[in-house]
Amino acid sequence: MSDATTPKGELQSSIHHMSARTKRRNAAERRFRAYGIAAIAIGLLMLVTLVYAILSKGAGAFSQSFVTMQVELQEAKLDKKGNRNIEEIKKVTTFGYAPLIKDAFEKVVGDRGIETDLKSKEMAALLSKSAASQLREYVIANPEKIGETIEFRFLANSRIDGYLKGRVTRESIANDKNVNAEQLDFADQLINAGILEKTFNIDFIIGADASDQRPEAAGIGVAMMGSLFMMLTVLALSLPIGVAASIYLEEFAPKNWITDVIEVNISNLAAVPSIVFGILGLAVFINYMHLPQSAPLVGGLVLTLMTLPTIIISTRASLKAVPPSIRDAALGVGASRMQSVFHHVLPLAAPGILTGTIIGLAQALGETAPLLLIGMIGFIASNMPQTIGEGLLSPNSAMPAQIYEWAKRADPAFYERAWGGIIILLIFLVSMNTLAVILRRRFERRW
Amino acid sequence: MPVFWLVLILLALAVAGYFIGRIRAVNSVGGDSRVLHSLPVYYGASAAISVLVPAMGLLAIWLLAQPILVERSVSGMIPSSLIPDGANLNLVMADVRRVAEGLNVAVQQGAISNEQARTLRAETSDIRAVLGQVGVALGQEVRPEVLRAAQSYRNLSASGALAMTVTVLALAMVGLGVSIRISHGQFRARNVVERVILLLLMAAASLAILTTIGIVFSMLFESINFFRLHSVSDFFFGATWAPNFRGDSDLSILPLLWGTLYISFIALLVAVPIGLFAAIFLSEYAGPKTRAIAKPLLEILAGIPTIVYGLFALLTVGPLLVSLFGQSGTLGVNWMSGATSVLTAGAVMGIMLVPFVSSLSDDIINAVPQSIRDGSLGLGATPSETIRNVVIPAALPGIVGAILLAASRAIGETMIVVMGAGAIAKFSLSPFDSMTTITTRIVSQLTGDGDFSSPETLVAFALGLTLFVLTLGLNVLALVIVRKYREQYE
Amino acid sequence: MFDAQRPGDTVDQKETKISARNVQVYYGDTHAIKDVNVDIESKSVTAFIGPSGCGKSTFLRCINRMNDTIDICRVQGDILLDGEDIYDKKVDPVQLRAKVGMVFQKPNPFPKSIYDNVAYGPRIHGLARSRADLDVIVEKSLRRGAIWDEVKDRLHAPGTGLSGGQQQRLCIARAVATEPEVLLMDEPCSALDPIATAQVEELIDELRNQYSVVIVTHSMQQAARVSQKTAFFHLGNLVEYGDTSQIFTNPKDERTESYITGRIG
Repeated sequence: MSDATTPKGELQSSIHHMSARTKRRNAAERRFRAYGIAAIAIGLLMLVTLVYAILSKGAGAFSQSFVTMQVELQEAKLDKKGNRNIEEIKKVTTFGYAPLIKDAFEKVVGDRGIETDLKSKEMAALLSKSAASQLREYVIANPEKIGETIEFRFLANSRIDGYLKGRVTRESIANDKNVNAEQLDFADQLINAGILEKTFNIDFIIGADASDQRPEAAGIGVAMMGSLFMMLTVLALSLPIGVAASIYLEEFAPKNWITDVIEVNISNLAAVPSIVFGILGLAVFINYMHLPQSAPLVGGLVLTLMTLPTIIISTRASLKAVPPSIRDAALGVGASRMQSVFHHVLPLAAPGILTGTIIGLAQALGETAPLLLIGMIGFIASNMPQTIGEGLLSPNSAMPAQIYEWAKRADPAFYERAWGGIIILLIFLVSMNTLAVILRRRFERRW
Repeated sequence: MPVFWLVLILLALAVAGYFIGRIRAVNSVGGDSRVLHSLPVYYGASAAISVLVPAMGLLAIWLLAQPILVERSVSGMIPSSLIPDGANLNLVMADVRRVAEGLNVAVQQGAISNEQARTLRAETSDIRAVLGQVGVALGQEVRPEVLRAAQSYRNLSASGALAMTVTVLALAMVGLGVSIRISHGQFRARNVVERVILLLLMAAASLAILTTIGIVFSMLFESINFFRLHSVSDFFFGATWAPNFRGDSDLSILPLLWGTLYISFIALLVAVPIGLFAAIFLSEYAGPKTRAIAKPLLEILAGIPTIVYGLFALLTVGPLLVSLFGQSGTLGVNWMSGATSVLTAGAVMGIMLVPFVSSLSDDIINAVPQSIRDGSLGLGATPSETIRNVVIPAALPGIVGAILLAASRAIGETMIVVMGAGAIAKFSLSPFDSMTTITTRIVSQLTGDGDFSSPETLVAFALGLTLFVLTLGLNVLALVIVRKYREQYE
Repeated sequence: MFDAQRPGDTVDQKETKISARNVQVYYGDTHAIKDVNVDIESKSVTAFIGPSGCGKSTFLRCINRMNDTIDICRVQGDILLDGEDIYDKKVDPVQLRAKVGMVFQKPNPFPKSIYDNVAYGPRIHGLARSRADLDVIVEKSLRRGAIWDEVKDRLHAPGTGLSGGQQQRLCIARAVATEPEVLLMDEPCSALDPIATAQVEELIDELRNQYSVVIVTHSMQQAARVSQKTAFFHLGNLVEYGDTSQIFTNPKDERTESYITGRIG
């Protein structure tokens, strides 16, 4: 394009005339910039998609379909001798309660003039399998009510619930043995009669997990307690140990190879895959120390080891941010080094340490892989812990492990619960991170 | 919970020591605390420390050492004839422990007396039935040797616990006595207390090393056990992964490694261009406002737990890909048969790694001095020419380090592959095939009902060790590169 | 050779290369340059002097639109290069900067080889058709930068490995490799030791044979040594502009005199 002897070439022309080469280069510039914008846009689009997927699929878990109806607690079925002997009443199994529900349905159909070909047994199949035991528990708790007619609110079966939420349609049940089109017609009639309705379901948030057969009854409450006890363990251990280790490394450690080894070690531990910590927990805490499997205490110990590097790194950063003049001032009035650290440096670094700890806890709260190895999945976490000791030692699940457990089950009704569980988990994470940001903003000090 | 009570007693002694030490020191100078070498509180603290620290230390060591010693002495009682083929001593020892625990439960619930528990003979009574009554289920009849070993296990543990209580309490009392003797005005209590605090701080810092040692040794021992049962060459160089819980499995890491690397490669293919371009845009083009909004938003992606990505892969991305590439899919190509595949897991993992790559690269690009950019712009280069020809080459070592760190993350990632990648170990080139990874297999081998003496379970430790070495290597390499890079501009 | 361009030559012997009319520069709300009018001659050295923060570097950076890279910076008024407005919408700063090269305060070689440092400009502007062309340009530029003899045996060693003075001469060679007409130098010697400074000053004196050089300097002695014309800036105003000899011996403005005699600055 240009002569080698006069290499100025086109550049010698007026700057008011844009050369072809400049046009090409500017086009390349615009393309490059567009790639950057596209990259950001893709990243944000992914975030939006993810949030949308979570919200759209998980919101359903917070509402549930209920059937409200009058059930006569027939004395003839529940207490044949009529003496209200609690031991004898307990002998009636849930099978003994099933007819009561059938009768209640027959009565509803009669009273409201609903036309259906369904037999009462098929009508009762609209309810969750937990309905009979719900009745039985009520009767055992209130034996004096036998003989009366009481209004009950039963969970609808997950298929019917899915029908109300749009997950189950007449087309999708073609090969489904658990529900048929007549039952859906019947459900429509019940909805019109105001007997079947979808309402907010607090039991999902505070309740316990349920077996494979009853997705409609499963809740995340007990797993939440498991997570809570794990986080308490993590907080109680990682905060003091992490702060102590950071104080040593930042304020007292001599510059020698041992300190170097410790520092390299900490930065490497921060990048070790979490599953490796699970293997460590399994080998050391369970196989060697024989601590109970599935216990939140063990989960907490494993997560402590995992969170420590994060907390140490952020704590050291906040200690480093306290200017040396503060230490000099304390030493200058005759304080020992230990006193200068504990009386002056540590309080000044506290907001930063707290922020780092909260972020570390949030990370630990969402961690799943190590929990799988120490047995926090594969069973139904059904009992609310009553004491702190029980909370730490009796088998439990944790929120992310519970979500994984639901995702593994075959019934799609559990998927909704898994997404719902994620919403709750994310609410916790968002609040913790917001708290950390607020703390940072509120107490951040510029020296 | 005798240990719990022991600790409580120690704490009570320490509190007592605190007040005695403090009062004695103040009294020794006639109540004028200004004459003391240190503040009164240090005299109390030094007394409490000398009660607590040696006794607690001994307690901890004892608790760790006793099980080893007891097991070693008891395992001598098991004749080798009792160990079935293909199993090892651990299996029998697990039985012994279970029986011993069962006896404890039975005594606690009053089903048998302590004396009976000691003298029961398998020949004369049905141990299984006895333990069954109290809710301890045993898999098989208790053999006489096992029962005797279990009884000996109980006896040794009980006498060990007694000896421990006595020794620990004695040590605590000695500590109390000594500390009371030395609590007088001239004693340099603050120096002693600060020394002990310093030692505690050091202990906390060395926990990091202890964790690493714990990780390495816990996996190393079990890996050695595994390689006793399974050939090393098959593990590292075999071509098939086919665990079979009846024994005689093919357990080679190569197919798993292939799956792991393939998925990580796809993840990086997604994450590196997006992350790098995002970082370039944010650090070189975006104004402060765009940056203040886009950067934290992108970083949310890094804060989302992996279980969420796993679910997203399994329930959203997988079905979406099937609807595109599967049978009767939009593209009509029928390449994909199930929702789990290399592409599913890789793409989702890529999303997770975007902020990881972008924030690391952003830091690194920002570390390139502005003067070099000015030099290039001053010569008439466009911003993109400056970035491509000057900034990126200058930042390259750091960016390579960031990518290595991301690769190490991808290789060690568990939940996304457990839920999104599938369970079939094979060498395939198609990204639409379901494949499995090292982490997936660790989870599946350790969450089954396998016992810890079969190669099918132990292989998980060998896999874990390989994974650890692999990621550690990548991390160290990355850290070295990044550190070198930073030094260049400092 | 220097006879025709001795300091003190009158203005009408030279054509005007750059002329600035009513230039105002704002950094956000700060008025950094206030109503500057100046004519810079071709093929001579013009020095901008003044106390720190007086706006001399800011004004220098307006001449090749390096201020465009700072978001909050706004420029008003006209700057004409060979009679053409460089802030015209039609002007591409990329093309402008190829004609108006710049050398910075701190030597800033790219972390590349010496050869690649010099070849960078010709490559992006497409000035060489072949590798041989490029070799010629690189050698010629390094010779003009008076550094050829020192680096000819290690053209592929990294440019960052040179000494400070060598790095700055390399940066000058890099700037002249695109065949600019104007060379802007922003305190080019402030990071150098006295010996390296002397070498660079000597080089500047040679460069004015081919280029119009504008140099910002803190050192009045340096201005006196290398320049033919001097402009004195103070608090964003161009206080006085004239022949270097006149400014240093017979300043017209009180402020110029105060600065030169060391009473302000």
